Amino acid sequence: MKKIFFIAMMVLGVMYSQAQFTKASLQATGLTCAMCSNAINKALLQVPFVESVKSDIKNSAFNIVFKQGQEVEIDALRKAVEDAGFSVGNLKMTGNFQEVKKENDKHIEIGKEVFHFLNVSEQVLNGEQTIMVVDKNFLTAKQFKKFSSASKMSCVQTGKAASCCVKDGIAADARVYHVTI
Amino acid sequence: MRYKKFIPVIALLFAGFVSSAQEKANIADPRLHIKLPDVKGDSVALASLKGKVVLLDFWASWCMPCRAANKKLVKIYDKYKAQGFEIYSVSVDDEKRDWVKAIAKDKITWLQVNDPKTWGAQSAVNWNISVLPTTFLINKKGDVVVVDPEEKKLETAIKDLLQE
Repeated sequence: MKKIFFIAMMVLGVMYSQAQFTKASLQATGLTCAMCSNAINKALLQVPFVESVKSDIKNSAFNIVFKQGQEVEIDALRKAVEDAGFSVGNLKMTGNFQEVKKENDKHIEIGKEVFHFLNVSEQVLNGEQTIMVVDKNFLTAKQFKKFSSASKMSCVQTGKAASCCVKDGIAADARVYHVTI
Repeated sequence: MRYKKFIPVIALLFAGFVSSAQEKANIADPRLHIKLPDVKGDSVALASLKGKVVLLDFWASWCMPCRAANKKLVKIYDKYKAQGFEIYSVSVDDEKRDWVKAIAKDKITWLQVNDPKTWGAQSAVNWNISVLPTTFLINKKGDVVVVDPEEKKLETAIKDLLQE
């Protein structure tokens, strides 16, 4: 019995959708030149799971490397940028994916987080992948409008699951990250 | 915005001066020492400019507000250089090529040195630079007298300091 249980756990373990984010590329926007301020750099370094931040001048972006094996909270990156007096203009997250089956306009639990893929085709993600966060306040208002029109679900506007995916077993107060690839 | 920049810089510059809070930051202070290579690779020390009125300027080629400031500085430099005014510009450009190109494009003839590594540049760390551009107006004795002077005030201050 124990053996069967163990095997079942192994199988479940492999089937379980997982993603460990390792790094990110973040563009900031604001009234003044974002790259000219050290404030964003400093604020990002204060985020507990951030290992290092490097200014990528050519792409006007901050290359962020996460501490190995640590849980990454995407909202914490946005908050750091906003606390520094800027906004996120673009955020691309890179990580190692394991059996993440993405479907257009569907929710999927990856690890502890809920992701909602927009403008994508059906595919199983494995290995290193980069996804772009298309939630409100993670891109320009114009871009957000474009991406948010891709779904009729209310979570696109609020970032919260609410009633849109209770049938999938996702709690109403769960944070839903809207992403594309 | 101006004040935000001003306060931390002044606080840092005075932080070490326990003996007298009234004492001004001076370029002879070892903690504020800057000696970096110019375009040709020859080292130039900021302290070697003692006796002149100096504008210490932190910038980078990719910093558009810095490039706009350069245009104005070209005029001011031409007007006052013969009277003992000098500009010591520290670029934090990682790419030397970009820096050299910007100097040519902006027609800069004053002292230019390079401290790569962007925000990790030691001179920028020592002077507590949090935004580009940041400038310091330094009198003939080597004391920092104004941080981030505005364009109009800069010219008046240079004139006054040259008379001292």
